[in-house]
Amino acid sequence: MTSLLSHNPHTNSIGYSFAQPTNAGNTEHSYTDNGGSVLGITGKDFAVLAGDTRSTSGYNINSRYVPKVFKIGGEDETGKDAHILLSVVGFAADGLALKERLDAVVKMYKYQHGKPMGVRACAQRLSTILYQKRFFPYYVQAILAGLDEEGKGALYGYDPVGSYEREQCRSAGAASSLIMPFLDNQVNLKNQYIPGSGEGHALAARKPEPMSRETVEQLVRDAFTSAVERHIEVGDGLQMLVITANGIEEIYHPLKKD
Amino acid sequence: MGGFDFSNYNRNAALHAKGAPLPKATSTGTTIVGCIYDNGVVIAADTRATSGPIVADKNCEKLHYIAPKIWCAGAGTAADTEFTTALISSNIELHSLSTGRPPRVITCMTMLKQHLFRYQGHIGAYLVVAGVDPTGVGLYTVHAHGSTDKLPYVTMGSGSLAAMSVFESTWKPNLNKEEAIALASEAIKAGIFNDLGSGSNVDVCVIEKDKPTQLLRNFEKPNERGRKERDYRFPKGTTAYLNEKVFTKEDLRKYVTVEEISGDPNLMEVDP
Amino acid sequence: MDQLVRQYTKSPHQNEFYSEQEQHDLTESLPPLSLKFALPPVANHSAFLRAMTDDHSNPNCPIKLAHGTTTLAFRFQGGIIVCTDSRATAGNWIASQTVKKVIPVSRLSRAEDKPGSAPVPGLLGTMAGGAADCQYWLRYLSQQCTLHEIRHKRRITVAAASKILANLTYAYKGYGLSMGTMLAGVTPQEGPALYYIDSDGTRLPGNLFCVGSGQTFAYGVLDANYRYDLTEEEALELGRRSILAAMHRDAYSGGFINLYHVKEEGWVHHGFDDMNPIFWKTKLEKGEFSNVTSAL
Repeated sequence: MTSLLSHNPHTNSIGYSFAQPTNAGNTEHSYTDNGGSVLGITGKDFAVLAGDTRSTSGYNINSRYVPKVFKIGGEDETGKDAHILLSVVGFAADGLALKERLDAVVKMYKYQHGKPMGVRACAQRLSTILYQKRFFPYYVQAILAGLDEEGKGALYGYDPVGSYEREQCRSAGAASSLIMPFLDNQVNLKNQYIPGSGEGHALAARKPEPMSRETVEQLVRDAFTSAVERHIEVGDGLQMLVITANGIEEIYHPLKKD
Repeated sequence: MGGFDFSNYNRNAALHAKGAPLPKATSTGTTIVGCIYDNGVVIAADTRATSGPIVADKNCEKLHYIAPKIWCAGAGTAADTEFTTALISSNIELHSLSTGRPPRVITCMTMLKQHLFRYQGHIGAYLVVAGVDPTGVGLYTVHAHGSTDKLPYVTMGSGSLAAMSVFESTWKPNLNKEEAIALASEAIKAGIFNDLGSGSNVDVCVIEKDKPTQLLRNFEKPNERGRKERDYRFPKGTTAYLNEKVFTKEDLRKYVTVEEISGDPNLMEVDP
Repeated sequence: MDQLVRQYTKSPHQNEFYSEQEQHDLTESLPPLSLKFALPPVANHSAFLRAMTDDHSNPNCPIKLAHGTTTLAFRFQGGIIVCTDSRATAGNWIASQTVKKVIPVSRLSRAEDKPGSAPVPGLLGTMAGGAADCQYWLRYLSQQCTLHEIRHKRRITVAAASKILANLTYAYKGYGLSMGTMLAGVTPQEGPALYYIDSDGTRLPGNLFCVGSGQTFAYGVLDANYRYDLTEEEALELGRRSILAAMHRDAYSGGFINLYHVKEEGWVHHGFDDMNPIFWKTKLEKGEFSNVTSAL
């Protein structure tokens, strides 16, 4: 044993501590992250909202089938006649509470006004619901989908306290950093140029066009089968809800279970 | 003498205290198991390596060679299991050369525990040591702080509880080779499917008396990736660039010198 | 003692479902932009909020809020120029590249903002800091402005509107709001008026402001080239160029350049344009940004 260990590196005499940066409040008591990912894409006359069905805490799987995408404003538990979709990732209990609250609001609107709530109004209302808890936020990232006044697919993405924006596509949750760049490239055609359209800076960027439902469904499935490969909290099943003028269609695909 | 370089220790600890995050080591949040049978021992591992929630390697090898008839399954910090087993493997070989006897499993286990205890858990290696030697069959677990266990069936890693539940419900004494392999594989699969830190394939290593050791790499592949539905190849010219410079083979030639080797190429072989 | 008694005499399931007030709020036909906020069940809720959401003091905070910006506005002889980037960040993650950081305030204007279209009357607000805070409170402000219009039969002045917002942020001081906003408008009483309001409760009138993480870069260009008697063309170009400088140097700014001109008749939108072609045009045609090279 040479002089390497004569100075004990573990003494605290050098004037610093191993104390973690102070965490005021009690993170563990209020929120847990239940993992999973969701993703939404709009088309000319439809919108797709999809999410995996795994619920996790730490390295454990709570369940292999806990839906993250919900129908809003439907008649009963079956969600019949619903015309809006909501997906929530983050803390599942907050997500469920948020869904219940929005569902109640959309139903009350229908009973009082005798007509279904439009997506744009619903999107604004969801924002205020989230902001009501600005100082004790819902630990969720929400995505709202439906058809707008003109029958076009509409998609709104939210942050946990209600800032929102209408978009063509959005991914949220554990694997959003894996899925979102893929969507930017394949849906909004970011960083893609038309070959031979010019030299250097004159090269013209590819312009995004509305995609067919078939293409969108393929992209969604590829996004999730790929996210499952590289993210441990994503897997088990893919629940995909497609909203068109004819109503909401639900499609389930098994995913890898490891 | 060899050992660790602590020259950045104080700097890094001070940075950490100020809130700078420490670099993340790849850890094999893992399921590894071992099980003895009538004439030998089998160890098995999953093949997922993770870095936080991200899968760093879908098909890594967690079964490490120590000696021809002693193998190790490693969980914990990937680099630590790799280097610790490699170090002990060298020392075991030197030891066996100097004593002129085949190495024993218990020797290997002792060397591992003494090495790990000296570093007080800072070397994050959690190991299952298994093998056959003249004294019989050996199966041990070694924890990062230096404690060890000797048991007929063992599990370690984040999936150890899932795997142990299989052993506790279906293990029986006097298994034969095939039964032992199937049981170990089943235990690993319990880890693969129920523990998020474990996944992909099953690797198995069978060490039997008077028989060559068998490493059954990817013994089972229950998680093969399906085909992608779309083609994601871009047409040439899709990516914009500012400038281009072409290197030809001739341009590179000037950086490379090719020398003819004289004599017998087998001279380089250590073990002809 | 009283508190103890109260604590133990409360019926245990009192808060099980929505309270009567909450039920009323739910059935209310107009969604309330109210001042009632749920608070966490802890002693110190601003510390709680900071631990949960403040990326700066706790990089591992579980809730990442959308942040980060460069915005600017300045007065000149032809009115007011308002210009922003469009990036929203949550920690190191770019949450969006298409945020509309200029928010029309007052009259709840529903007018389509097509570039070059006819001026739309009303004020403009800008968004820096917490995206949700700005969106929500500027919406609240437009509600108040509309009410003002109905009550007093004339449009609210920028001074009064900014005061409503500043009083609000001052009332919530210490709760953890995060916003740096500018209000711009032209009214018959004031002419072109520009105010800066932030979440500390600051309210400042002025000629020229830059707000956000990229403000210093924008100030650098804007201060160097600003004159009150700029032509409309020059002013629009200066706004664009200042934001471009900030987008180029500030990692938390980027995306699209959003440009507005506030005139007597109202505001006019002058485009929401991708910064990249503008950057290369500026570099290649004007010879600026010569530090950027493509040489190998």
